[in-house]
This record gives sequence, C-alpha cells and structure tokens, in this order.
Amino acid sequence: MAVGQRTPDDASAPAQGWGLNTWDSPWLNFKFLLGAGIVLLILLFGLVGPFFWDTDLAYTGAGPLNKPPVWAEGGLPEHPLGTESNGRDMLAQLILATPSSLKVGFLAAIIGMGIGMALGSVAGYVGGWWDHVIRTLSDSAVTIPALVVLVVIASYVQMTDTTAMALILALFAWPGPTRLVRSQVLTLRERSYVRMAHLSGASALEIMFVEMLPNMLPWLAASLTGGISAAILGATGLEVLGLGPTRVPSLGLIINQATTNAALVRGLVWWWLPPIIILMVIFVGFFLMTIGLDEIANPRIRQFSSTRRERTAAGELPPVEPVEDGTAGEEEAALEVDDLHVHYFTPRGEVIAANGVNFSVRKGEILGLVGESGCGKTTVAMAILQVVQPPGRIVQGAVRIEERDLVSLSGRDLRRVRWRDLALVPQGAMNSLNPVTPIREQMADAILAHENIGRAELEQRILNLLNDVGLPERVIDMFPHELSGGMKQRVCIAMSIALNPQVIIADEPTSALDVVVQRVVAQTLLEVKERLGVSMVMIGHDMGLQAQLVDRIAVMYAGNLVEVAPVESAFAEPLHPYTQLLIESIPSIRERKPLNVTEGLTHDLRDPPPGCIFQFRCKHVERICRERRPELVERDDDHLVACWLYEPERHSLIELEEA
Amino acid sequence: MRGLTKEYVLQRFLMYLLTIWLGSTLIFVIPRLAPGDPVSEMVGRLSLDAGYIENADKLIASWKARFGLDAPIHVQYFRYWGNVFRLNFGYSLSHFPTEAWSMVSRALPWSLGLLTVATVLSFSIGVTVGSLMGWRRTPRWLQMILPSSLAFTAIPYFMFGIMLIYLVAFELDWLPATGAYSRRVDPGWNLPFIKNMLSHAILPVVSIVLTSMGGWALGMRGLMISVNNEDYFLLAQVKGLSPARIFFRYGVRNAILPALTALALGLGGLISGSILVEFIFAYPGTGYTLYQAIISQDYTVTQAIANLIILVTATSVFLLDLLYPFIDPRITYKRTMR
Ligand code: SF4
Repeated sequence: MAVGQRTPDDASAPAQGWGLNTWDSPWLNFKFLLGAGIVLLILLFGLVGPFFWDTDLAYTGAGPLNKPPVWAEGGLPEHPLGTESNGRDMLAQLILATPSSLKVGFLAAIIGMGIGMALGSVAGYVGGWWDHVIRTLSDSAVTIPALVVLVVIASYVQMTDTTAMALILALFAWPGPTRLVRSQVLTLRERSYVRMAHLSGASALEIMFVEMLPNMLPWLAASLTGGISAAILGATGLEVLGLGPTRVPSLGLIINQATTNAALVRGLVWWWLPPIIILMVIFVGFFLMTIGLDEIANPRIRQFSSTRRERTAAGELPPVEPVEDGTAGEEEAALEVDDLHVHYFTPRGEVIAANGVNFSVRKGEILGLVGESGCGKTTVAMAILQVVQPPGRIVQGAVRIEERDLVSLSGRDLRRVRWRDLALVPQGAMNSLNPVTPIREQMADAILAHENIGRAELEQRILNLLNDVGLPERVIDMFPHELSGGMKQRVCIAMSIALNPQVIIADEPTSALDVVVQRVVAQTLLEVKERLGVSMVMIGHDMGLQAQLVDRIAVMYAGNLVEVAPVESAFAEPLHPYTQLLIESIPSIRERKPLNVTEGLTHDLRDPPPGCIFQFRCKHVERICRERRPELVERDDDHLVACWLYEPERHSLIELEEA
Repeated sequence: MRGLTKEYVLQRFLMYLLTIWLGSTLIFVIPRLAPGDPVSEMVGRLSLDAGYIENADKLIASWKARFGLDAPIHVQYFRYWGNVFRLNFGYSLSHFPTEAWSMVSRALPWSLGLLTVATVLSFSIGVTVGSLMGWRRTPRWLQMILPSSLAFTAIPYFMFGIMLIYLVAFELDWLPATGAYSRRVDPGWNLPFIKNMLSHAILPVVSIVLTSMGGWALGMRGLMISVNNEDYFLLAQVKGLSPARIFFRYGVRNAILPALTALALGLGGLISGSILVEFIFAYPGTGYTLYQAIISQDYTVTQAIANLIILVTATSVFLLDLLYPFIDPRITYKRTMR
C-alpha cells in the first residue's frame, strides 16, 4: 500500500480504532475512576479533618483510657471513635496519621519513578554497555526482599520523619519503573512515527518526551499507582514493626501500639481495626486504579471484558438464519459459501464485514479471493473455518462441504469436520506454530484428534508429510524458532494435508516471506494440490501471484463480491470497474507487487450506501448505481459480475420504478 | 541447542552473585552512610530507656572495638564479606553464648515450610483461576464466580492475618492464634505434634494465600487473553483439537512462562510480606526472629538473618532460572537454521 493512503482499519480488527472519540475515551475506565475517587476521599479525610477536629487530642493523656466508640456502651460523644490505653483520641490520631502514610507512598514512588524513567530511557535508547549494566542491576535489585533490608537499615538509623523514610523506600521503588520504561522504549523505538521523528533530526530528549511519553502514559501511571501502594506497604510494615518514626502518628504505628498492648486479646477492636480499615481502603483504591490503568494500557484486556459484557447483555446468541439451498445447481462443488453475512458488533456500531457473500469452489480447483486489506476477505476465511473472533459473528448464511452446513454445527460435530474436511494454511506461519512445542507434537495432535493410530505409524506419517513438502526429517524434532520463515510455512502446508482434506484455505500463504522463498512455497502448494487433487481457496492481495496460481478469481470490495471469473477472462477482460482498477495497477504480470490502488475505501463500513458499493470510486457511476444494489449475475461464460454497466435494461428499470 | 547451555548457566550464576552482593552491601553501606553509627545509636537508645548511662563514651569505644567498627571502612567491608561467606556472624548479643548462626538455623525450617506451602498454593490456585478467567470457553457460571476469588487481592497479608486472628482465633476460637506449636505437645515425628503444628500453620498460610493469589490470577488472565489472540491458538481451534487440549497445551502452556518469570521476580516481595505475617502470628521463623533480634538490639543476629534471607531468596530465583530453559526452549537458543 502506498504511504499516506487512507485505509480503514482491517475489518477483522475493529478494536484498533476505539477510543478516538472523546465519549469513549479509554481513560473513562470505571475501575480507574472508582479507585481514584476512593484515594481522593481518603486524602480529603486527612486534609480537611484538622479543620473539624482538634488534633491535639491525638497525644497521650488527652482523654480517659480505653473508651469505646460513641455508639457502643460506655462511649463518650467527645471521643466519637473512642480512646486507647494512653487516653489518645482515635479520630484525632487517624486524621493525623492518614496523610503522613499517603505522603510517604507518593514521595517514594515519585522518586523511584523519576530514577526509573532516567535509567530506563538511557538503557533503552543508548543500549549497549549501559543497557547491560542497568538491566542487570535492576533485574537483580528487583528480587531482593526489600523489607529485610529496610528493617535492618531502620534498626540502625532512627528515622525521625517521613521524608527520611520515603528516601530510604525509594531505594526499592526504582527497579520496576526502570524495567518498564526500558522495554517500552525498546518497543516504541521500532514504531514508524518514532523512526520518522528520528530521521527528521529530532533530539533523543524530544523523541522521548514528544513521541514516546504520551504512548507510555497508561503504563507509567499503572506503574506509579502500583509503586505508591508498594511504598505505603513498605512504610506501614516498618511502622507496624515499630521501626518507623515514633513521634509522628502513622497508621502503622497505631497498629503497632495496639498489637504490642494486646488490643486484640483485650477486645479493644476500635483501637486496631480503624487504621487497618483505612489502609485497606487505600490499598483497594490504588489497586483498582492499577488494574484500571492496565486495561487502559492493554486494549486486548479491555476488548475481552467488553465482548464478555456485551454477550452477557445480549443473552444467548440468536440462531443463524438458515438459507434455502438455492445454489444446489452447482455440481461438483467441494465448498459452497452461501449468502454469508458477518458483522462485528463494536461499541460504535455494527461493522458489516461480509455482506451476502456467495461462491463455490469446484473439486480440484484453486479459487483466488482477492481485494485490498480490510475488504473482508480474511473475515470470509475465518467464517468458513467457523473461527470468527468476537465481537464478530456470522449473522446469516451457510458454508457447505458435502451437503453439510458448518455454520449449524457446533462442539464435537464441528471438531470432527475440522481439519479432516477443511484445513488451513495460515497467514502468519511465523506465529502460527506453538513456539514451545516441537514440530512432531504439533503435527501429531492434528492427526490424533481425528484418527487412532499407533506411535510408529504416526511417526512415519509425519516424516512422509515433511518429505512431501521437501523438508528434511530432522525437522520433526525441532522447535519453530529453529526454522526459517519458509520452512515454517512448509511445515504448515505439511500439516494441512495430514488428513487429506477436501478443502484447504490458504490465507495469504506467502505474504510474510521474501520473494525467493515465496516462489518455493507457492510451488510447494501447487505440487501438493496437483498430487492430492484438493480444492483450495487462496486468499491474497497480490494479483500477480494470483494470476499464476489460481483457476478462478473472486474479487471482493467492502464486504461484497463484485466479480467471479475464470482467471484468464478476468485478466483478459475484467468487467467490474474495481477489477479493472486492480489489474491496471499491476505494472507487469511477471512482476509481483501488492495492490497499488490510488484510493482506499470511501464509505463507512458501518453504514454502506444504498446502491452500488463502489459508487464513490467508480468512473462510470450512473443514477441507478446510487439507488439499487447490482446483483452478482452471470454476464459471460462462467463470468459473474455485480455491476449495472452490463445490464442493458438498466434505464428502463429505473424508469419503471419511477412510474 | 536446547536445555541448559554453559553460557546461560554462567550468566545466571553471575546474576545470582550480583544479587547477593547488592543486598548484603546495601545492608552494610546504608547504615554507615547515615549520620551517627550503630553503636552510638544503640547506646543512645539504651540511655533513653535507662535514663542515664555511666561512661557512655567508654562504652561506645569498647563496643566499637569489639565489633571492629574502629577499623577503616574498607577493612570492615572485607571482614564483613569474609563473615558472609563463611556464614559466621559471631555470637548472639541477646542470647550469649549462642551463636547467631545457630539461632538463625533454628528459625529457618519454619519459614521455609510456611513460605513454600503458601507460595505453591497461592501460585497454583492463582494461575488456575486466572487461566479460566482469560479463556473464552470457560462456562458462564464459572466466569461469574471466579472474580470473587480476587476479593482480598489488594490487602496486605498481615492485615488480613490480624483480622483472621481476631475472628477465627479469638471470636470463634477455632484455631490457635500464635506460635508454631503448643507447649503441651512434644516436638518430634508423632501424630499429635504434627496435627498441632498444622493447626498453627493454617491461619498464616491462609492469610498469605488468600491475599496473594489474586495477583497471580490477574496476571495470568492478561497472559491468557494475549495467548487467545495468537495465531497458533486459532490454528489449534481450526485443527479440531478438543477444548481441553487447546486450553492446556496451547493456552496455559504458553501463558505460564511469563507467569513463572513473575514468580521469580515476586519472591522478594512475598518474603517481605511474610516477615510481617510471622510477626503478627508470633511464628518462630526467620521473620519473627529478625524482629526479636531488632527489638533486643541483637546486632549480629540481625545481620545473620538479613543475609540469610537474601541468600535464600537469590538461590530460589537462581533455581527457577535454571528450570526455565527446560520449559521454554527459546531461552537458550542462539542460531537460526536456514
Ligand atoms: S454499478 Fe455503477 S457504480 Fe457500481 S461499479 Fe458498476 S457502474 Fe460503477
């Protein structure tokens, strides 16, 4: 695709564009806001408290001893939360203690974050020796049990105030942010906009603050809230052990005094419980903020929870509307796709990714399914395989292999058909093999899921399959990372023919490979197909490659099939204006290049226009094109097209309608 | 190359030494960077408690000489390292003439037992819960129940422990509140003792497990969701594998690798937290002994325990590191075959 070309998000991944509108900004995360609210309330209690309550009551001898709260028997109204064994007023103590606990946490975490950002960006940016030293240091510092060291330090150094404590706690607050910033910088450095900024001569600091920081923000914020609560926990731990500042009231110190005075045994619940409750509320607040921020930073988690919520809200899925078996006339079809509709139910509306797609694959032929990215061809492949990912769903249609509709199958019945009748050569062979299991096991489980055979036979089968695709036998014991891209793709091809399926879906099987390897893999595919007589759907955007491999070609645009024709007549005499555009954009048939279409989609997939789907980009658009959708009709021998241009009656049709 | 390579083991071993060095040095250096010195500090505290101490200057000088604190700092540092290496920390100050090391080794089994059980339980429960939460095919009723196991996630172990003591030990009187076993049973391999010991361990273990498993669960959930979106996960479905096989061999198998890394990194935090749990439950492990050594100003035992805990933590992390290449074949991989 040309740089700067406007392209819609691939319809199979509608989540990418979420959060661009302010009304569903990811920062409006419920957990995050709830947590922030809780923390603010606690902070307010500590800050506003002194104006409403006499904090001098927090010191020894300010009132009677061991009085329960006002609502209990014996409670006094002048000490609403009771007093403890030194006559100190509980409410006054809590008001004084809360902000000091929070202050330690914030201070330590912010210092740690500052150090972490500095070290992390140096490590990620400068790399080399610096990176090595910083990474090793932070990796090992992170495993040291902080409290042990803190306790020892605190036992030597009398900590007089909270600032001293925060400084010491900050010693343990930097490794986490350092590791985070380093890995973020390393990831972001590879992004195109950062590279562009680099090329345009921006300084490292500029890139860091202008290009990278905004992208790291949710991660950094999550790390900060996590760091604050860890620091509060460390401070409280020291205070509970009696090693914190003893002259300043703190929540941990109250707990320490309560436990050392046996408040638990003596039933002085109002002494030890309130500080614990306040601390728990603080921790819950920060925890909610942290997981909320995690969701903000990681859209997959957000998407996972939202599809779950949506499914629960919608109740059970409505049954897919059955389709009358209308295309039964097609004899010798290995695979029939009948009026397939796939919609993605995104929070911002229903995206129509496949709209009434109709085609069949004849026995032993390769059908090419082409179109620019985002046209829905991968969605159709996923729908055929019955693995449309939520929030997508097949809402209508049938996918038949040997008269059996896969859409209506589920559970065991579907599993039985899978791979035995319908296999896949995936798009990204790089990532389609499980990285942690050897090839043997991954090929074996496909076979064993469908057949019961002994070990020796299984082994022989796998070796034969590897042999079939031209791989050496030792590949069987290798792991995916030990293979090159082309070898991995051939393993995938070997796997796909393991059960001699009727149909193989090849989803851009050569897209991630370099040109030489592409040719080898394509050759392997062709050989396999010839030998087994298997039918294939070859998905791709590479018209040149398609021209060499496929028997018939089906062109897709914005979720609709616009032309289906034998490959010779499609190239010699393309009917649909879009197909013509695609073919014009190939410089030479010998030279394989991806589609170079000058313009992307021009309408919103959620709201297709009435009439022809291609009308905004078509040179020949007429009035009828804007009003009525053209159907896919056979205009030539085996050559189907959905375009009004080839309907001689189109003028009278529209006049008829007006009359 | 798979499994352990010499390079990898060496690298991890250096890391192991670095961690120990870093931890021990922090303990050595920071107190000396601070104004004052430990002996004056101790004597100062003593005089606060007693009101007045005669000849405080002389006392400080003699104590300094006794601990070798009058030597130049680098000499002290080398001596300190000699002690750490030989695990020789001298005599306990509060329990003279017991050796510091023998006090520590008495406490160690309790802590190791408690922590191992708690960590294994919390990690395995957490990982199971998280895997199920992050899997699309988990039955809906289970999806509704599972998040409830996160209820105590944000609460520090020891606070939960205090509440458990109050509710379960004092109010309900179901389980003993403190200690590792009762005075009335004879320590040894007999049934009453073992039963008694277990009943004492329940509350500390429960307070660690219930509060820490949520963290593992949340992490594992995120990892499972990522794996759910991987191409190999999709291919496994298309292969027609059973849901159980997909879940275990393609889901959990892959998601657990980063979770194990997180376990190794989180061990220090877990041990930190357990010190407070031991304090609250008066459980006679290293954490509690450390606390007692500190309040009785037992300088040698404090040093010994702190170094030992650092050593044990680093060793556990090292062992986990050595295990890792066997679970993830990519770790020690170097070359690509063409
Ligand atoms: S129907 Fe009309 S707008 Fe659509 S492709 Fe044909 S001529 Fe163009």
